[in-house]
Parts: sequence; C-alpha cells; structure tokens
Amino acid sequence: MTRLTRRLVCIAAAAALSACSSLGGGDYGFSDYSLVRVRPVSVGDHSMIVTPPRPWNRHRPIFFEDIRQVEDWTQNGPLLDGISFVTGLKNGKSLIRQRRSANQQVPLFRSNMTPPEIAAMIESLYRVRGGAVDFRTLSLKPRPFLGTNGFQLDYEHLDDDELWRRGRVVGTVINGQLYMILLDAAKSHYFDATLRDFEAIVASARLKA
Amino acid sequence: MCGRCLELTRRSLLGGGAIAAAALHTGVAEARVRPQDMVPLIGPGFRPTDTDEKGLWKEMDRVEEEVAGSNLLITDPKITNYLKTLIATVGGPAAQDFRIYLAHIPDFNAMMFPTGFAVVFSGLLLRMRNEAQLAGVIAHEAGHFLRRHMIRSWRDEKRKTDIFSIASMAAGIGGAAAGAYLGDYVQLAELGTILSLFKYSREMEAEADAMGIKNMAAAGYDPMEMSNIWQQLIGEEEASARYRGKHRHKGGIFDTHPSEGSRMVDLRADAIELTVPGKKYENYRERYLATIGPIRPLLLDDQVKLNDPGASQYVIETLAQDGWNGLLRFYEGEVWRLRNRPGDEVRAEQSYAAAVAYPDAPADAWRWHGISLLKQGRTGEAKGAFARYLQMKPDAPDAAWVRQMAAS
Amino acid sequence: MLKRGLPAAVAACVALSGCVQTRQFADLQFTPPSGDYKLLVLRPDVTVGSITTGGMVQPRADWTDQARASIIAALKAQQAARGGNVTIVERRNQLPGVGEQELADVERLNFAVDQSIVEHKYLGNTLPTKRRIGLDWTLGEDAVRLGQKTGYDYALFMHAEDEVASGGRIALGVLGLAGCFIGFCAPNVGGQQQLDYASLVDLHTGEVVWFNVVTAGSQIPGIKFGDLRTPEGAAQMVERLLGRMKPGKAIREQQKLQAQERR
Repeated sequence: MTRLTRRLVCIAAAAALSACSSLGGGDYGFSDYSLVRVRPVSVGDHSMIVTPPRPWNRHRPIFFEDIRQVEDWTQNGPLLDGISFVTGLKNGKSLIRQRRSANQQVPLFRSNMTPPEIAAMIESLYRVRGGAVDFRTLSLKPRPFLGTNGFQLDYEHLDDDELWRRGRVVGTVINGQLYMILLDAAKSHYFDATLRDFEAIVASARLKA
Repeated sequence: MCGRCLELTRRSLLGGGAIAAAALHTGVAEARVRPQDMVPLIGPGFRPTDTDEKGLWKEMDRVEEEVAGSNLLITDPKITNYLKTLIATVGGPAAQDFRIYLAHIPDFNAMMFPTGFAVVFSGLLLRMRNEAQLAGVIAHEAGHFLRRHMIRSWRDEKRKTDIFSIASMAAGIGGAAAGAYLGDYVQLAELGTILSLFKYSREMEAEADAMGIKNMAAAGYDPMEMSNIWQQLIGEEEASARYRGKHRHKGGIFDTHPSEGSRMVDLRADAIELTVPGKKYENYRERYLATIGPIRPLLLDDQVKLNDPGASQYVIETLAQDGWNGLLRFYEGEVWRLRNRPGDEVRAEQSYAAAVAYPDAPADAWRWHGISLLKQGRTGEAKGAFARYLQMKPDAPDAAWVRQMAAS
Repeated sequence: MLKRGLPAAVAACVALSGCVQTRQFADLQFTPPSGDYKLLVLRPDVTVGSITTGGMVQPRADWTDQARASIIAALKAQQAARGGNVTIVERRNQLPGVGEQELADVERLNFAVDQSIVEHKYLGNTLPTKRRIGLDWTLGEDAVRLGQKTGYDYALFMHAEDEVASGGRIALGVLGLAGCFIGFCAPNVGGQQQLDYASLVDLHTGEVVWFNVVTAGSQIPGIKFGDLRTPEGAAQMVERLLGRMKPGKAIREQQKLQAQERR
C-alpha cells in the first residue's frame, strides 16, 4: 500500500469511532519524516557524510521496502522533489527491493559497470518501477566525486501522472561499491529550486575514514 | 530512491504486471459466435437517447478531452492518419464517427470508449507484423462499439449489484464490482483501470471478435491474421513466463484471459468460414512496415528497457523473421545486457559485434560495442568504436564521457 | 494511485451518520481576497448522479447540467459579494492567450502540489521543515506566467478524490462533490469517503495561499446537505468550501491585537 493509502485507512478507522472526528493530525501526528539539521550527517549505511545547506526532511526507512544503502530526503514531498543517497551498494545488489519473480526487473549493480551502464540501470529503475513512460538522458560526463573519477548524469522523464521531472546524479564506484547522490524533482520550478542544495551537498560529501 | 518508486506503478495497476485490457478480457463463450450473425446495432452518426447512456457520454467527453490533451500521445501525423484510415476502413457504419489516439506506452493494448474514441498503445504497434493484424485489433475494438457493449455491460452490472457489498467492492477491480460512479477523466497511462468498469463478458468478447473479423474480411484483409495475433501473444507470454520459470498463467499478462487459446481456435474457424474462394486477401505488410518503420527504434527501445527478457527476446526474434539487421541485433544485445545473468555479458558483446557489421547499426551500438571491447581488454579496438560513435553522434548526451574514454 | 483494497477498508470504517467537516490551511500572511480582484476558476466539473438500489451511481446528464449551472452561479454570486471578478474556464481551450498544453502543464503540477498538501498537511504525514509555517507550497514561475498572460490575480483549483469511483485513483475536477454531498452516493451500508479540496493560488507569486478540504461521509440516504441542483444547495456548498475563508495566522494575530487595542 502506498503511504497515502495507509494514512487514509488510519484516518477512516479513527473516524469510525466518533461521530465526527477532526481531519487528520494537522501539524502534529505520526510522520514518516524526521528533520535533518544543518550539520554533518551520515547517510545510507552511514559510510558517507554530507552537510545540507538548510534543513531537509529525511524519510524514515521502511523495513521491508527500503534497502539499507539507500536514503531519501525531500523538501516539499516526494511527488515534487527528492535527494537520494546510495552508499556502498555492493556487486550483485539492486537499488530497490524487488521480487525475483517480477516480470520486469531493475538490473543489479555490477562492480565493473561503466557510467553508461549505471545510467542505464537508473533509467530502468524509473521505467520499470517509477512509472516513467519516457526517459531522456540529457548528458553524461566525467566529474570528480569523493576524491575519485566519477560521473555526472543529467536526465528527464515523463511519468504516468503526466508530469515531467528532471534529475541529476553524481556518482562513482569505490572498491567495487557504488556511491551516488541523486536529485529528482518536477521540471517546473522544483528542480531549479533544489539544485543549489544538491550541489552544496555533493561538494560537502566525504567518506567516513 | 526515486520518490515515487514505492508507490504503485502504472504497470502494477494495469493488473499484475502488464495489461488489464478490457479489450483483451476473458475469452469466448462456449459456442462460437458466427461472424455472419453479427450485425451492427447502431448506424452512422449515432447519439444516445436513453438517459443513462447520455450521462455516460457526458462523462466520456471529459475523458476524451483529457486523452486528446495528454502529453503521452504520439502525434506523428503520418502514423495517426494511418490509424484513422484503418479505423475508417473497418469501422462499419460508424466508420466516419470514430476517433483514434496513439499512446506512447509500451504495453500491448487497445481500448474503445463508449463514445467512439479508441486508444491504441505503442506496444501494440511493435508486435503487429502487418497491416491486417493491426486492422484486426482495431476492427475488434470497433466491434465493441458497434454492438454497444459498453452500455450493455454497464447495465448488466447495475442489474447484478442488488446489494451494495463491501466484499464485492474489495474483490472487484477498482469500482467495477460495485458498479461505482464512473468518476472523471483519467490519466492516459492508467486507462486500464477505468476501463475495468466496462467488464466485457466472454460473450461480448466473442461478439467483438466475430464483428471485427467480419468487417476485416469485408475490407479485403486476410482474416486468418486475426487468429495469428493470438498465436504470437501466447508465444510471447510463454517466453516471458519460461524465463521466469513460471507457468504462463501465473502472474502473466493474460492472467485474466485463460482462454486466448480457444479464441485463437475460434478465430481460425471464423476465418475459414469467411474466406471466399478465389478472392484475393491482403496483409499489406510492406505498407505497414514503411509507415511504422521510423518509430520502430523508439518502440524497441521502450520494450527492451522494461527489462522483461523473455518477452523482449520473443518480440525481437519474431521481427527478425523478416530478416536480421543492425537495429535488431543491437536490441538483442540490449536485452542480454539488461538481463545481466552469468554469460550475458558475452552474449551482449557478440550481438553488438554482429550489429555493427550492418550498415543500419544505430550509433548506440558502436558505443556499447566499444564498452564491450574495453572490458575484454581490447583497448585499441575500443577506441576505434568510440571514435565511430562520436562521428555518428557528435552531440550525443554522453559525448563528454566517451571522449574521455577514447582519449585515455 | 491507491490500492484496490482501500475502498473496502475505507467504506467499512466510515460509520458516520452524516458529518461534514472542513479544515483550512493558509499562508501565514493570507488575507482573503476582497475588493477588486480577478479570479480564475479552472475547469470545475460537476457531475450528479442517482444511486441505484444496488449502490451504483448513475450519472444523469440533466441533473449534472442543473448542478453545474447552480454551482457556477453560486460561485459567481459568492465572489461578486466579495467584490471580485470571476471567470470560470470549463475547457482548456477557453483561456485566451494561453495554449491548451500550457494550461494542462500548470494543472498537472498543481495536482502534484495538491496531493502533497493533502499528504503532508491533512493526513498527518508532516514534513518537519514545514511545521508551524502555515502553507508553504508553490506552483512557481509557470503560474506567474499564467497570471501575467491572462491578467488574473488568483486561480482556484477544485478537486475531488473519490477512491471508490475511480478505482483508487485521484480524480481531477469537482466531480462527485455533488454526489456525496447530497447523499446520492450513500448506499445503505457504509459510505464513500469523499475528500474534496480547493486550492487558491496567488498568480502574482505562484504560491498556494489557501487550501481547504471538505469531507462528507454520509451513511443514510435522505440526509441531505443541500441539493446541488438547486441554487440554495449550490450556494451552501460553495459557501462551505470557499465562503468561510479565514485569514492566515499572522493576519489573524494582527487583527486580534488591533481588536485588543481598540478596547
């Protein structure tokens, strides 16, 4: 079930108990998000440390759905923008949990992947799981990251809610493990509004010694 | 990772992985419906007079406005006019009243709405081998309209739902079982859900088959091609399931249509019945290939990137029956690369190498060929391949990275 | 994008005996429009249907036309009382100077924004960075451009979320507001949880400055919240949704202070 769905069911159940209950928790209630303050914070499996230039909202990991190496932040909600961290993804692992029996699979990461292959893996993620009906790579170029020769990928995609979204990924493979920081946001307004934060976060990123 | 990835995706909404087509719903009734018994129930310029149907049409107008304005449409006039001509050819009395839209969605699907507008998904265009097959699908959809299936099934649902039952609601697809309020226009990619409201009975599917094949044959198309469509689809689904080590019916795209085999058989009988000895029937393959040729790379790309290796392989091999070329070998390589099981890297390398031997090899084939060579340690050759890629596509998005690779 | 099992769960839980509630959020600095302003209402779509004994809603074109006319009249009257100038655009090609695609893009972004507001403000899934700062979402530059091209000050988007009807999809437009308000979509057992909302966008800044959610769960048919087909019923709905627009928090506090000073 989606988060929106779960929320709705809870509210409805609560509503059943009283003739007329108030709508939702408003500003205070159980939330999937916790605050990320403006100071160095370790992300994902905690092997990488970044410092955001302003507060962000961190999505709490959902045990069965999320994988340890991936962490998601948002400013305005995941439909509008999001920064994701991939830390130390190992050979043969997937970016997202999936059933082996699913007809359409997101490819697994391999340590010998070149940047075009990693870009293709990200494209598959959006097409197979993200509901993207169109995906365009805008550019792929070398970019230093975490002290190594990494890459920067820029892309955009049209999703099944008919909204175009834009993305930028900065990544590298260290000791056969994948490290990436990814920004994905609505092309109208939201990508530009969060790009500076993304660049600042990338600039601040370092591996725990 | 990818904020919306944990939400339901379009594909899972479309019924277990691919299609929940009202169009391709459960199979035929026990007794075959004979084409000659099928007559259209409406005439040209049809407009509803019953109150409930008028209400339905009003709803559908809004849906059509949304569909027509969707940015998921392929609007290439050459192809859209081609589709318009086809539906005018096999549309029976309503020929001039139909509208038809092509959606850029890689699923195999086509659907008809109660007001006479049809939506065809691009995945369909990839799989049809000739014009007769495409016309057959369109004729089938038109058949639903000509036999007034939507309003009939709507009314059937009303009769059946005597008691508002929560259980039936939960069990049904969307609001279909409870026959709930139609709701408003929908986003194009999730049409399958809304169309589940018009759950066609097996009888209706049989009628549409019969009406469709009749109109198709009358227009001069080889009616046997309609049966061939099912044969191809079954083959694809078997390939997809086999790859997953599954039986075709579990979690396959035809989960809800177990009797496509019997449809294929019935259509074959229909075709034999309708064939007039001595008359020449066409499938217009050349015309079809020429028309969709320009978007075929796009269609293949969409399909392969879904990473359903069994199905993609099958589709490519079927297309290759008309002859291998650089494009098909390239996408064959892509299927292996994305599948990435042990040994697939080598298979992909071989396909890319084969692809670049053809004059029509796409630029991307050279890039992937170069990467394969790099991984095999054949650096000199790799640089040559990269150079060729850059020559073909100097403004490629990843030119910067490739240039660095070529220079190092 | 709601799962199929939801309608059952929701319906089973909604055991209300007729309850309408609204909850508004606004920018801290929001003052309800008054005086000489131009309001654009985008594609409100009203559909009214009757409930068959089986619980099916059957859309009725004639009732729909009546209700649509009533709502539009009520909107115009209500806004005129405020001193504003309302234009209601029913089809995408009716806005001069703005292409259909351009308008569609704004609507789609607005849809994502509104969904986010519902999720993070109304359904309790709070974003910590947005606590205590009122309503903090924007449509950005595209909305501002829309305002510049058309000369409107505000845009009003009206939405309805009808889990059951759309098979778990969130639908756009003011559909079903009619249906459930007047108990038409209330069968004998359980009811449809209707989540309808209106959002007001300031076209000078692109920001969503006011947002209101109305839910109506009615179990027993015959409990009427005002028949939308009548002018009175439509006016009541519009008033409920739009009429009691409260100023934003900062303004209310200002007003309180001013009131205190006067004493």
